[in-house]
Amino acid sequence: MHTGSPSKTVPILSKMAEIMGHVGEELAFVAPDEDAGLLPLNRFVMDLEELVDGDLPHSVYAGVKLARGWLDQILDGSGRFTEESIRNFNVWHAWMTSALLSLENATPMPTWPRAWTENSGPAPETPSNEAISLKLPEEATFLSEFHSESLELLQSVEQGVLVLEENPSDIPTINSIFRAFHTFKGGAGFLQLEAVRNLAHELESLLDAVRRSELLITSEIIELILSGADALGYFTREMGIQLQGKNSGTPILVPTRGIIDRVRSILRGEPSGAPAHNAEPTSRGSRASLSDSPKPSREPPTSTATDSSSGFVKLDTTKLDSLVDLVGELVIAQSMVIQNPDVQKITSLQLVRCLRQLSRITTELQRNAMSLRMVPIRKLFHKMTRLVRDLAAQQEKQVQLVLEGEDTELDRNIVEKLGDPLVHMIRNAVDHGLEDPAVRAANGKAERGTIRLAAAHQRGGIVIRVQDDGGGLDRERILAKAVSRGLVNADTNLSDSEIFSMIFQPGFSTAENVTDLSGRGVGMDVARQNIESLRGKIEIQSHPGEGTTFTILLPLTLAIIDGLLVGVGGDRYIIPTLSVRESFRPSPGMVTTIHGRGEVVSVRGKQTPLLRLGHYLGATGEAINPEDGIIVVVESGDSAPGLLVDQLLGKQEVVIKSLGSAFEKQSLMAGGAVLGDGWVGLILDVDTLVRMPYQPQAVTPAASVATL
Amino acid sequence: MNLNPSNPTQPAAKAGRYLTFTLGEESYGLPVLKVREIIRLCPITSVPRMPPHVKGVINLRGTVIPVFDLRGKFQLATTNYGERTCIIVVQVASPSGGSTLMGAIVDAVEEVVQLTDAELEATPDFGGAPDTQYILGLSTINGGVKTLLNIEKIFLEDGCVSLNAMSKQNDSIQPE
Repeated sequence: MHTGSPSKTVPILSKMAEIMGHVGEELAFVAPDEDAGLLPLNRFVMDLEELVDGDLPHSVYAGVKLARGWLDQILDGSGRFTEESIRNFNVWHAWMTSALLSLENATPMPTWPRAWTENSGPAPETPSNEAISLKLPEEATFLSEFHSESLELLQSVEQGVLVLEENPSDIPTINSIFRAFHTFKGGAGFLQLEAVRNLAHELESLLDAVRRSELLITSEIIELILSGADALGYFTREMGIQLQGKNSGTPILVPTRGIIDRVRSILRGEPSGAPAHNAEPTSRGSRASLSDSPKPSREPPTSTATDSSSGFVKLDTTKLDSLVDLVGELVIAQSMVIQNPDVQKITSLQLVRCLRQLSRITTELQRNAMSLRMVPIRKLFHKMTRLVRDLAAQQEKQVQLVLEGEDTELDRNIVEKLGDPLVHMIRNAVDHGLEDPAVRAANGKAERGTIRLAAAHQRGGIVIRVQDDGGGLDRERILAKAVSRGLVNADTNLSDSEIFSMIFQPGFSTAENVTDLSGRGVGMDVARQNIESLRGKIEIQSHPGEGTTFTILLPLTLAIIDGLLVGVGGDRYIIPTLSVRESFRPSPGMVTTIHGRGEVVSVRGKQTPLLRLGHYLGATGEAINPEDGIIVVVESGDSAPGLLVDQLLGKQEVVIKSLGSAFEKQSLMAGGAVLGDGWVGLILDVDTLVRMPYQPQAVTPAASVATL
Repeated sequence: MNLNPSNPTQPAAKAGRYLTFTLGEESYGLPVLKVREIIRLCPITSVPRMPPHVKGVINLRGTVIPVFDLRGKFQLATTNYGERTCIIVVQVASPSGGSTLMGAIVDAVEEVVQLTDAELEATPDFGGAPDTQYILGLSTINGGVKTLLNIEKIFLEDGCVSLNAMSKQNDSIQPE
């Protein structure tokens, strides 16, 4: 029960009972279609409003509010009682009197009249609860995702409020609370949970006003934010209970109305109607009173049942990262021990066995540590299902989304950053890719378009394909647009893939009408940037009339790469294997010079530019004759030049380390890695390398000694 | 106080403990609070297309940190690294927030000295000939002058070296 001290509440209760006595006298004289008694009644209710405070159970407060609502409606409207309102006031009077009596005597509260909770009274808005029915089990997946997301958001709101109490003008905190409500609103809107969406919306506006310095944070606002978060939290916990299969189907009553009213009145600059700490049933300290409020049948929320996310531990990702780093160190340290010349001299069979055991354990440990960060891509894919459904409805297109390989696992950091580009590509596919049903039918296709979203392991990485069976990219229109923007010359002979990759240029859109869907969010250029920042690549294939396929190639993890260790002029560099197409030692005659400077090498019958890696790195390669070195053919976008290196030292997995802020501005080196002998090897960024201007030296031996 | 009136904005060195070290005949100091550790010279992986004084990166127990040659930075004659050459690892605030470790190669580390306000002098104005922007102040102790360095400023500037600016940097830093 509530925590009010009897010494404080008893005088209030008796005063209220006294007022209710007067109310009874007045009610005896009211009649339908007359205004007699209206003003006295109004005054008594005002008195009651002044008296109720947070120490009283919520239902009393709600009762007073209820009468206020009815009165306001009459005063704003005809100004006369109706039969219905008289009946309501009589029921109300009886209920209030017995409620006050039972409070004084500490006996159980009377039941809340059913008519009041069903919104059938003359004041449909007054009952401060809004019912929400969850669409279980159809939307269980989305709801449970929303559930866990909401728990986090509300927790961050609560933490934020604690900060605001100390420092009311802390802008980052205000922003983070704002964002939390905003995100909650988005999710709730998505799932059509109107009541909580509205509440979150109001709270968002409140925070927005604070953010724009139109309002100052007062204790009242803080209390209101907390009440709102509590109401949303109550809904979330109830939702969690239902998701576990209990009480499913029962509408969840969320006390939103009162909070919304108070937010609005604050936004209008009026003092909010209620004493700050009385608020709503779920506000702190009075949450227990839920059990005696409107629907006593509902079980009080039990936090233990809902907060347990069945055997999962949430932890700080930086801890996880440092664990993975340390395991990487362990692997290196182990190889340093094994490769140590002194150790290798020992011919003890036991030592060999121990070392082998050690290797096994470290390898297993490394694999486990890596898998900690791996999550299936399913969650992300399922978000797309919803997106496609909504987009299709808005665009009046028929679309089915086929998901493949949802169980494919990849680094959670990658999954997080993949969301935006994927949303954009799906939007594009629905918006621009698929034709209208009529057009499709005219072209002899099924009216219903198909978008295939597939993930799979390939070449030590992950491949994600977004494939639509729409009209395909319009080669001519893209070209025309590129020419009009001055990106290319009209007479340049370009391959299809060169033309298609134009859509990754900033601000490039061939959509005839920018819809509200594709006008927003990240553009394709940002999508590509996001993917490249994950050390991934994106490719387009498109056939007119058959559709377009976007292929995204991603590494499995950001922490480790598979690299080719090459030697150039006495230094060692690592080329990420993902960028390497092939490597070979050229035979005499494969390399031809052009103008005595530029070199090309024939790779499978195709003349490929040959770039001497040493020139880029300011070092002189030892392999002056290409035949003395190795050519590594790398891929970057559409180009695949050959890099001449002195030697191939091996292929190994390396743990990527940042080079630190000192080298932030250079992008030639993607990072460093500690090699088996404890030295640092530098990891080349092939994309940057290939785009750098190449100033070939004359390839005669004498000239190639000159450094860059 | 001995503050140079013509240059009142120059932040003077604060009293406290300084680690002193030598570069050739000259003696320098840096606030000891910035110093994380002093290590012996270890294998340095050079990073291409960097100014000559940016020697490269080292593996400090699993962390990759950049190292700079202070002689090169101040355009002193370069010498071969000797027995006493070592790397002072300092912790500097990184421009992107947080702090980062960087190493400075010096000829030899001397000692840690306690400097009082009375022992500190503001940087004299050379009219631009030696660049004084990295200097916190001077101190005369035990008959010798120590130049107190703003190590953060030195490193952060180098953190802003961009590839494009490289060729220019190279020209200006190259000793005649």
